[in-house]
Amino acid sequence: MNPATFLLALAAAALAPTAAFAGDVDQADRIGRGAYQAVLGDCAGCHTAPGGAPFAGGAPIATPFGTLIPPNITPDRDTGIGDWSLDDFRSAMTRGVGHDGIRLYPAMPYPNYAKMPEPDIDDLWAFLGTIAPVKNDVDANQLPFPFSIRTLMIGWNLLEFTPKPFAPDAAQSAEWNRGAYLVQGPAHCGACHTPKTIFGGDDAGKALTGASLQGWWAPDITAAPTTGVGSWSKEELVAYLATGVNGHTIASGPMAEAIAASTSKMTPEDLGAIATYLKTLGPSDAARPTPLAASDPAMKHGAAIYVDNCSACHGGRGEGSKDLFPALASSPIVAQADATTLARMVVIGSQGVHTAAKPTTPAMPSLGWRLDDAAVADVLTFVRNSWGNAAARVTPGTVAKLRN
Amino acid sequence: MSTPTSPTRRRVLSTAAWLAASSIPGVAFARSISGALPWDANSAAPPPKLQLNGWFFFTSAEVETVTAIVDRLIPADALSPSGAECGVVVYIDRQMIGPFGRSSRLYTQGPFFLGTPRQGWQSPDTPAQRWRAGVAALERWVAANRTGRRFAALAAEEKDAVLKDVEAGKIDLGAGVDAKAFFALVLQNTMEGFFADPAYGGNKDMASWRMLGFPGARYDYRDHVDKHGQRYPLPPVSITGRPEWAGKVD
Repeated sequence: MNPATFLLALAAAALAPTAAFAGDVDQADRIGRGAYQAVLGDCAGCHTAPGGAPFAGGAPIATPFGTLIPPNITPDRDTGIGDWSLDDFRSAMTRGVGHDGIRLYPAMPYPNYAKMPEPDIDDLWAFLGTIAPVKNDVDANQLPFPFSIRTLMIGWNLLEFTPKPFAPDAAQSAEWNRGAYLVQGPAHCGACHTPKTIFGGDDAGKALTGASLQGWWAPDITAAPTTGVGSWSKEELVAYLATGVNGHTIASGPMAEAIAASTSKMTPEDLGAIATYLKTLGPSDAARPTPLAASDPAMKHGAAIYVDNCSACHGGRGEGSKDLFPALASSPIVAQADATTLARMVVIGSQGVHTAAKPTTPAMPSLGWRLDDAAVADVLTFVRNSWGNAAARVTPGTVAKLRN
Repeated sequence: MSTPTSPTRRRVLSTAAWLAASSIPGVAFARSISGALPWDANSAAPPPKLQLNGWFFFTSAEVETVTAIVDRLIPADALSPSGAECGVVVYIDRQMIGPFGRSSRLYTQGPFFLGTPRQGWQSPDTPAQRWRAGVAALERWVAANRTGRRFAALAAEEKDAVLKDVEAGKIDLGAGVDAKAFFALVLQNTMEGFFADPAYGGNKDMASWRMLGFPGARYDYRDHVDKHGQRYPLPPVSITGRPEWAGKVD
């Protein structure tokens, strides 16, 4: 939130008859701290629709179990959370149980928010009370039977959820512990980057090693040297989170949204803590695969397709162009276990994130009209096995899923 | 054909008034963009999908005539297959039913002045109308002056002689057809079909590009710009690709 918006929010809070705490100086501090908690938790990422009123309900989220629509969390009494109490809010954040005992689905990352200390949750509540109420009735639960039965989540919580606050590791630095808290707690990185069990809970043994997500692949963000962020320096990681762009790549898709709404607004200290923590997570790719031979037919076709379609921007040797066209050589993004995001880039195209520091938004054009599924698969196989990369070949079936 | 006229005060004023009136509904407003640049998923402007079989404009008799003309302008030889073998007639046929053939991107309302040669074609007639009228006039002239034969039935030397006379304006094709202008259109469209991207129906297998060593639809040569005196190593590529993409050539 920029200062002007924040002042407006404060002014609105002072004028609103429901704002019982108006005029309380401590309360102003709490609201300011709460606004930052909303940044850390990226509430707007889900609860604000593209172009919609802030926190008044988000764009539908496709889960493996069906569709959920993030509800209106403005203080509107009829359609928002204006009739909730602080206790209701604490319970929703830490136990997944909302007003009137309604069970939340864990697409709302309460297993992560449960690690937040109560004062932070209370600050966030104070901030949410200052948002302009918006009347927008959201029917959150679009799931098919039987997942539409909210009380099923009682059983899910027993299986998948242990509500407990963050436990610092005394052997690690304060910065590392802050990073661990942010990643595991409010920033809920694992919601996208951790593979899920068949019940949709985090597969704890594979934390942050990459996962499928709404037609994208959220990449490995452990310190794994070939598929994770191990080859990025702490400064490069911070630059990526702060601006969406570093010397290696440019954020797009769901991560672009998370950067625009959340990480680009975090303090440099918090971003440094996140980077410090991520860079200590054990490598997940024990065995580095051998690249395919250049004589492989897919590699030969892919080389021809690459030079004709990709090399003008990404370079004859995959070197890219700093801050404008991502490098493909020795790229952990290129070497991910799952090529869904890569295939999406080629077939559908994508636009880089817009942040104040990096406003250019370079875009990848859609090549789906020019390359058929086999050609997309071959060029990706070539890129994934050239210039220091080594990864499994891409099949036309992976590409076909991205066509309409 | 049009009658040459000269501008009058009344005509200039009425034209100015018409232009002013007609510009109002089509006004394009500038718009301000802030934040990310506009961008759409799946956005692309590919060439129209080529219809491979059949004729969409020419009759079968016209196809015979046009094929005979095109194959004299670009005969099969050591450098390339003939124009028609390279799909030039297909290219022209598809162009005649498109924006070019219909002059849909040209202003073709009056007044019509007799322009200078440098001012280009000055007539409401579309290229499609000119091809149709020109081919018919040529066949009438050939039938009347070459013992009732059709153009395609002439010997190669006879065809060349007729075409040279048409090009030089020595033949009066009648029916208001300007022989020189018709030949210029035929030659222009033939060259376009031979050298344009195969996506438009001609230049089959990129034959003309291979003949010239033209690399096709590429736009970055940084890896080669310093290699003076060396042959550019890559084969041509069309908007629709090249055989190597699909393993047709390994």
